[in-house]
Amino acid sequence: MVMSETTDSPIANPVNKSLENENIAHGEPKMRARGVDVYYGDKKAIDGVDIDVYTEYVTAFIGPSGCGKSTFLRALNRMNDTIPSARVTGTIELDGEDIYASGMDVVQLRARVGMVFQKPNPFPKSIYDNIAYGPKIHGLAESKPDLDEIVEKSLRRAGLWEEVKDRLADSGTALSGGQQQRLCIARAIAVDPEVILMDEPCSALDPIATAKIEELIDELRGRYGIVIVTHSMQQAARVSQRTAFFHLGHLVEYGHTSDIFTNPAEQRTQDYITGRYG
Amino acid sequence: MSASTLILLVLGLGLAGWLAARSRAAMFRRANDGRRIASLPVYHGWYAALWIVIPTLLFALLWSAISDQLVMQQVLASPAAAELPSFGIQRQTWLAEARAVATGAASGVFNPEAEGLVEPFREALTRYNIIGLVVTLLIALAGGAWAFLRLKPDFRAHTRVERTVLATLLIASLVAILTTLGIVASLVFETIRFFGMVNPIDFLFGIHWSPNPMTDGSNPDPERYGAVPLFWGTFFIGVVIAMIVAIPLGMMSAIYLNQYAAPRVRTWLKPALEILAGVPTVVYGYFAALTIAPAIRDIALKLGVENPSSESALAAGLVMGVMIIPFVSSMADDSIAAVPQAMKDGSLAMGATQNETIKRVLVPAALPGIVAGIMLAISRAIGETMIVVMAASATARLSANPLEAMTTVTYQIVANLTGEASMDSASTLAAFALGFVLFLVTLVLNIIALRIVKRFREAYE
Repeated sequence: MVMSETTDSPIANPVNKSLENENIAHGEPKMRARGVDVYYGDKKAIDGVDIDVYTEYVTAFIGPSGCGKSTFLRALNRMNDTIPSARVTGTIELDGEDIYASGMDVVQLRARVGMVFQKPNPFPKSIYDNIAYGPKIHGLAESKPDLDEIVEKSLRRAGLWEEVKDRLADSGTALSGGQQQRLCIARAIAVDPEVILMDEPCSALDPIATAKIEELIDELRGRYGIVIVTHSMQQAARVSQRTAFFHLGHLVEYGHTSDIFTNPAEQRTQDYITGRYG
Repeated sequence: MSASTLILLVLGLGLAGWLAARSRAAMFRRANDGRRIASLPVYHGWYAALWIVIPTLLFALLWSAISDQLVMQQVLASPAAAELPSFGIQRQTWLAEARAVATGAASGVFNPEAEGLVEPFREALTRYNIIGLVVTLLIALAGGAWAFLRLKPDFRAHTRVERTVLATLLIASLVAILTTLGIVASLVFETIRFFGMVNPIDFLFGIHWSPNPMTDGSNPDPERYGAVPLFWGTFFIGVVIAMIVAIPLGMMSAIYLNQYAAPRVRTWLKPALEILAGVPTVVYGYFAALTIAPAIRDIALKLGVENPSSESALAAGLVMGVMIIPFVSSMADDSIAAVPQAMKDGSLAMGATQNETIKRVLVPAALPGIVAGIMLAISRAIGETMIVVMAASATARLSANPLEAMTTVTYQIVANLTGEASMDSASTLAAFALGFVLFLVTLVLNIIALRIVKRFREAYE
């Protein structure tokens, strides 16, 4: 299978390696999931998942299609609420606060836990308005100069400013696929979230655009907690420091990316990353 | 020999050809040791049948068009015809009577002078009937033989039959288009005649409308044919009042059905709303005239309006607005549903509420489709006739007061075409000019709307 070369050099990324070696002490996890089950109607899609997400690390979810990794990701900012039959049990905490508690405001939660989707989905508005959308609805900008500043800062952080600064009034949908995806990341950044969830953000992009996004993810690490679902094992190895392997709705193994790829504790993980199945 | 027997005969021949050709093709297969032949036997059958039926029917059509004339020529050449008066109704009557007796439609002549013509008619009819029958049979045989001789194991009968089917479909679709062209042509023709009597400038920009079918012959007073009050009434009832009702209600029901309604509610409500579109407009008409209009007058009286009209623009416009709610809402519903879920998710994931998502993302993204729906609804409203005929009035009035009676283009078309004036008087022809203007306006609206919808579809594919 395609994955065969990954096992040779999963931690070739020097940034990744140095961080792993430092083994820095980290504080409290940003998000903490305990005993999370997700049901679609009567069907259990996720069974008893425990995971911690840290701002210091990029966390990657890997696993074969249909293993529930995207479902679990969407449980982290309650996007599953939009599916009528979906139901979540167990606890997911953001800074120690249960996000499924009745007092939790979903709107505020999603402002704090942003999301980037598999297919770039810019709004059919101008580039400027795409970024300004979130700050406007959350009242983050007092004035037009404030808003301009947020737009510029977000586009700069997403590495898109230089490419679009002269055509902010153009439609967001007129950009290339890779630019659209960075626009979506900039849009998520604009509301100043604490965690950004990325659901296979590169699966619709070519290798060059993919490389740019991966570079961006690395730059954003530390400022935002980042969780990325990916089908590409190379990508997980390149961008993440923590990897969770899902299979059939179970979290099979979760740990340092280098351990998962070089020395997995579970046979199933070993089989998957060496391309035996999946 | 009557036409129906002839058609039965041709169809019988066709059936015979079908059976013969099919069995011959089946024989090819047997002779080929059961190997495949190029076409199924049934296609060979159809090929032969079509070659028999189509040319003969074409000939029959042609023959029925010319045989009457041939018969008449022969009769007029006979010695008995020499006694006919050369012109006028009498000549026509005698000929018609003689003909009726000859064909058996009448038992005897009323005018004894026609008696002498019966025999020549009978002779001529028999003669041309026989000629027609023989030629029909010959053509059928020739067609059948031609088709039959071409049958071979490798003959691709199916492609020929497909081609005939294609031609039939093409002709069927042309019928509707040609009919439309015919309608337009007749409108244009009569409109030009009208503009020969009344200057188009007077018609389009004049502000007094009071045609008099009794006195306006071919020399009308152009001052009485100013259509601006009609255009205004149509615009005021069909666009202003009806849209004030239909756009908000249609949009809101579309948003509710699409975004908020539970699936079970939706499966009941959506068809219920679409029933509105199926109510005959005449029913809306009497609802407007008998229920809404008096109610509006009573309310106006209570509010202190003096002498409110019992036929108000408001009544017609309100009911028309309700009538076109389904047009607006179903187009809006479709266009909102066509906005990708990813767009909605993107907005919700930013922490937007559902209401913000609808207002700021879904509706703007669906706007082209919604606008197109509104334009189609407008073109429907201004062409609407029954409601205004029953609830609006005949009085042409330029007024912005919705409680006053107003008239519309469609109302005046009905009034002038069904009036007592003769077909070539100016007041009747004015109906065609009005119809032509209405046609142009709705055509332009529809074209623009369809273009917008097409662009909109492309944007999300």
